[in-house]
Amino acid sequence: MTKAQEFSIQVQSEDPKKKEEKPKGEKPADPGTSKGAKDAKESEGEELSEEDQQLKDQLEMLVERLKETNTELYRPALETLRTLIRTSTSSMTSVPKPLKFLRPHYPDLQTLYDTWPSSEDKSLFADILSVLAMTYSDTQPRGTLRYRLLSASLRPSDSPLADPGSWGHEYVRHLAAELGEEFTAREQESLEEPSTTEEKDKEAKPKVTLPGTLDDLRELARSCAKFLLSHNAEPDAVDLLEEMEIISDITKLVDENTYARVCQYMIRCVSLLPPPDDVSFLETAHAIYVKHHRFPEALSLAIRLGSPELIKEDFNAPANPLMKRQLAFLMARSQLPLEWLGIPLTEEEAEDDFENDLQDCLFNTKLSEHFQAFGKELGVEDAKSLEDVYKSHLENTRGVSVNIDSARGNLAGTFVNAFVNAGYGNDKLMVKAEEGNSWIYKNKDHGMMSAAASLGLSLLWETDVGISHVDKYTYSADEHIKAGALLATGMLNSGVRTEADYAFHLLGEYTTNPSVWLKTSSIIGLGLAYAGSHREDIVPLLLPHITDDNTSMEIASLSALALGFIFVGSKHGEISDAILLTLMDKSEREDKSLDEKWARFMALGLGLLYLGLQDASDTTIEALKVINHPIAKTAQILVEACSFAGSGNVLRIQSMLRHCDEHINPTTAAKNDDKKDDEKKDEKKDDTHQAFAVIAIALIAMGEDIGADMSLRQFNHLMHYGDPIIRKAVPLAIALVSTSNPQLPILDTLSKYSHDNDLQVAINAIFAMGLVGAGTNNARLSQMLRQLAGYYAKEPDTLFMVRIAQGLVHMGKGAIGLNPFFCDRNILHRPATAALLATLTVFTDAKAFVLDKYHWMLYFLTPAMYPRFLITLDEKLENKPVTVRVGQAIDVVGQAGKPRTISGFQTHQSPVRLGTIERAELATEEFIPFSHVLEGFVLLQKNPGWETEDKMQL
Amino acid sequence: MGNSPSGMPPAEGGNNKDKKDGQPEKKKWEPPLPTRVGKKKRKGPSAASKLPPVFPTTRCRLKLLKMERIKDYLLLEEEFIQNQERLKPEETREDKNEEDRSQVDTVRGTPMAVGTLEEIIDDDHAIVSTASGPESYVSIMSFVDKDLLEPSCQVLLHHKTQAIVGVLQDDADPLVSIMKLDKAPTESYADVGGLETQIQEIKESVELPLTHPELYEEMGIKPPKGVILYGVPGTGKTLLAKAVANQTSATFLRVVGSELIQKYLGDGPKLVRELFRVAEDHAPSIVFIDEIDAIGTKRYDSTSGGEREIQRTMLELLNQLDGFDTRGDVKVIMATNRIDSLDPALIRPGRIDRKIEFPLPDVKTKRHIFRLHTSRMSLSEDVDLEEYIMAKDDLSGADIKAVCTEAGLLALRERRMRVTKQDFTSAREKVLYRKSEGTPEGLYL
Repeated sequence: MTKAQEFSIQVQSEDPKKKEEKPKGEKPADPGTSKGAKDAKESEGEELSEEDQQLKDQLEMLVERLKETNTELYRPALETLRTLIRTSTSSMTSVPKPLKFLRPHYPDLQTLYDTWPSSEDKSLFADILSVLAMTYSDTQPRGTLRYRLLSASLRPSDSPLADPGSWGHEYVRHLAAELGEEFTAREQESLEEPSTTEEKDKEAKPKVTLPGTLDDLRELARSCAKFLLSHNAEPDAVDLLEEMEIISDITKLVDENTYARVCQYMIRCVSLLPPPDDVSFLETAHAIYVKHHRFPEALSLAIRLGSPELIKEDFNAPANPLMKRQLAFLMARSQLPLEWLGIPLTEEEAEDDFENDLQDCLFNTKLSEHFQAFGKELGVEDAKSLEDVYKSHLENTRGVSVNIDSARGNLAGTFVNAFVNAGYGNDKLMVKAEEGNSWIYKNKDHGMMSAAASLGLSLLWETDVGISHVDKYTYSADEHIKAGALLATGMLNSGVRTEADYAFHLLGEYTTNPSVWLKTSSIIGLGLAYAGSHREDIVPLLLPHITDDNTSMEIASLSALALGFIFVGSKHGEISDAILLTLMDKSEREDKSLDEKWARFMALGLGLLYLGLQDASDTTIEALKVINHPIAKTAQILVEACSFAGSGNVLRIQSMLRHCDEHINPTTAAKNDDKKDDEKKDEKKDDTHQAFAVIAIALIAMGEDIGADMSLRQFNHLMHYGDPIIRKAVPLAIALVSTSNPQLPILDTLSKYSHDNDLQVAINAIFAMGLVGAGTNNARLSQMLRQLAGYYAKEPDTLFMVRIAQGLVHMGKGAIGLNPFFCDRNILHRPATAALLATLTVFTDAKAFVLDKYHWMLYFLTPAMYPRFLITLDEKLENKPVTVRVGQAIDVVGQAGKPRTISGFQTHQSPVRLGTIERAELATEEFIPFSHVLEGFVLLQKNPGWETEDKMQL
Repeated sequence: MGNSPSGMPPAEGGNNKDKKDGQPEKKKWEPPLPTRVGKKKRKGPSAASKLPPVFPTTRCRLKLLKMERIKDYLLLEEEFIQNQERLKPEETREDKNEEDRSQVDTVRGTPMAVGTLEEIIDDDHAIVSTASGPESYVSIMSFVDKDLLEPSCQVLLHHKTQAIVGVLQDDADPLVSIMKLDKAPTESYADVGGLETQIQEIKESVELPLTHPELYEEMGIKPPKGVILYGVPGTGKTLLAKAVANQTSATFLRVVGSELIQKYLGDGPKLVRELFRVAEDHAPSIVFIDEIDAIGTKRYDSTSGGEREIQRTMLELLNQLDGFDTRGDVKVIMATNRIDSLDPALIRPGRIDRKIEFPLPDVKTKRHIFRLHTSRMSLSEDVDLEEYIMAKDDLSGADIKAVCTEAGLLALRERRMRVTKQDFTSAREKVLYRKSEGTPEGLYL
């Protein structure tokens, strides 16, 4: 009786142990519940099947033999042990049997091992112990690694046993995990001298017994990585090498089968890694791509790294002229300075037709032509009238609408017409208007400027035709029309480059014009036309405006902004010094001009210079801290936000959130009101920076999906707790996070905000709706806006904004988007980001700018506008229709096998329109694309090995 | 035309021209967009509080980094909210809340009536029906959470205007909520004698997918949806299911096939639907259907309404197992004695991926089972269990238990405190005799 009872108790006592073991995950494989029961049985020495018993006996015999003194027998015994362990198969839920049976002997074997003299046998023994140590990893950390290293040190270098992979996948994984642990332990040790006793005790054992140096560890890591790479565990290999801080070595390990997955994984990690690692990841991935001659991928990474040398290298690397053209398209899309490429850029310099062709690609000369052809393909080439967009018959306005043809309405019409028909060059109000009946004359004063400037959008990218159209207005006697024409000249040159350089020559002379209107529009025109081009010859035109004390703050700030556009992300020392000095001077002189609303643009101009450069802006931020004026804080935030734009850096977001923490309590402000006017003013100034801090959160978080999603939650809280200034900025920030990407939850949120009690919040929310839906023709959004138009029918300001938003939603009749990212949403487009940021800055004080005389600032969006098409071209750069599938992009990084990259796709004939979160792939393998991302212009080459499959044979 | 989502077909050019010729009557009617409230939708945390999904699901650093990123953001949120809450004067907040509540209460009015939402017309209006009969077109109050509204849910109505003033939640069928297992059974895997391969198989297909989904992801396979346990009576099918329920922390729903047969037409299928809906709401969950042959027998032409109803119930079950809607973390275990009589559609791979047979115990298992059952009994010295173990009787696990119990009873009858060999021998004979009672002996000889 006693015996039996004992047994049953044992069974039950074993059970909980298993439960504990499982979550720890220390066992190489889940030990399985049966094991718990089994162990008990084992101790009884029964209940084993015959095979198991035999195996157990054999193993025990071998162990006994090792314990004997006869050294002759060691070798065969060890060899047998090895084969037994290796040949055993394990299931997912249980430990391999030999390991299970050998486990009790492990301590004995350990002591035995220490008594042996070093020999090759001992190395083999160490090898086996290393495997056995896996079962003891909970009590003796890093045993596997220890014996592995011991065995390596004992073994002659030419031994065939060196490959850890021969022990199987689980072993390598185990080893990899221990390598990582060991490495971090050693790192820590070297950092802090072994002083703490507890730590020392723990480390003492492995420290004494782990013989290898760091190099040994790394060598081992390399061989593990090699094994992992060859067994479809690319993420594990990358992780291991990253932990050992030798990620660059992976370049040598990958082959043509694995490099694509490795690079994908690495690139996906970049935005989540702490600073030094992310760059090294990008560089390593770049090196891999270069090694495998994947030039488009390499170039896109070089662009992401923002390194002129790498870009030049990559661009000049391929010999294939078609590939070169493809790279030229990529460069053109990125709008980086073409001077970096070190190739001839003017017609005289071009030596042959090929280079001419290449220039066309680089300059985006054909953009307009292709875009209009694309419009024709989609059947939207006819100009849309305002009513087509408003669809006011669907609005449920109850009362009779107020004055229909008011100035505001016409002004809104100007913008809607411009945005909707952008790039087609055939709108009915301006370009194709009958002589003298142009829409311009339906506006007054400053409205005329915007109307004239709308030509620039209508004829966007169409440089030659555009100039001739705009030209006639430049001779107009009316200052506003003339100013508008200048702005239009700048706008239509945005994103394309011409030999003739019209914008520079036409606008250059007006920058010193005494008229403020002409001056501002020419300055901004230059900024828009040359955004991102880093043109040095513009500096002398604009810089004096900043440094000169006598110019008004308006001119100085807009000049700074224009320079910010042109030298976006360049870290141009001269300009940033000039802006800094100006700010310092003015604050020292206690110049009132810094209190003006314009000052924010100067700060923004400074920030744009550092867009995406991360730490490069440190000195500037330090310098700004010296300035004793509220604007300095705004500038600090802007510079910091810009330099970390799209990086997803959580620490920076934290600091931005802290800025929003403070409350400048409205009640105390009211009290102060009685005391002093000045103080109240100060306070008002003080909180402008909060608006920028909110936008900064969006700007930093937008680079990466998790951050973007999570930032929405932050905005929710900010909206809940924030002061009016913060609440005003929240919709703008939301718009920045999901520009041109109308997701339902975001629309819902914005729709809620658009009915806010605070009219400013509502206006910004409506504009944000426009940005979020920009160029999508989203039906739900249009309906929401129509409803808002009815709701706000009696609020001219808000109605104006609703109209603008409607225009944005139908931008380019649904063919032009505002996405600040390109190349499968991987690369930050600097001019586009600058454009969006400038527009949002305008809306931080919508009343003072857009709703006042400065509505033309809406045209700041121009550099961000880009067609959302995919056009496939053949060798001669002619349009080549092929079937493509378009669907929702799915993140497939790190998944086994070859999963589909898009879901819910539809098949179309190219050219096609791509949404922000959509992706395209070729439907057949008839053609091979040169680019890795099907977006924008893609060159195709016939697949030589392709055969039409289904030819009916009768 | 402008409303098509993306990559619109290029064929609409002609259309456009017609419209132009046809004068300015282009105010073509556009159908209003359907309202988004009031659709049947998946339960789950609302969009505002949902965390972004993390891909890839395999174990790797990227996943870790993404999780950490989410955590960082949550910490930021916490910090911000704490700061704000500290700064905020407390009394005003609570006062305001209270005030709002009482306001809402006044608007709601008393008494309220309960009605069923029939249909949602637009964002502010709906058709409801009450127990008293007529359906009416009423407005929805603005403070009602429209996300909770869905057709056929219970709503609170204002007593005069009949306007919807609230939503009653949790409309799960009470029958289903009974099926949910609140208390885990005491049987664990250790109480199962033998059956090691069966335990392993059921772990692989039911437990591991719920606890370690990444293992399957890494391999690139979809984990099995369910298993069926079959074998002669008394071999431990239900016992194993109990052990699974004991082991897992997942919601465990147990049904007996016959429970799914209901009195009224359509009630059976509805119950099945409810069952799986509840399972999904409480995912991860395991549904255990015992005696599946009660509803899962092969279909045949039947004139009886009852038969047909049962078949329809099974069809609903088929649909729930592998229909159009994907089930998330819901695993199904079925048990039956008669797998041969089940409808082939029910146990095809894709619905039930693994069929686990429970054979009669072999010698080793028998020994284990004997030991399990006799471990608490006081046996006299002369009892040698090996004798019964080695005997070539067709004893199932349940038979062995019966033998032990019978032996105990016999000992009890004679007021002995020990079970002797004699007891065991007669108990065994008795059990064997009873077992073969129904079948004519020697038919197959």
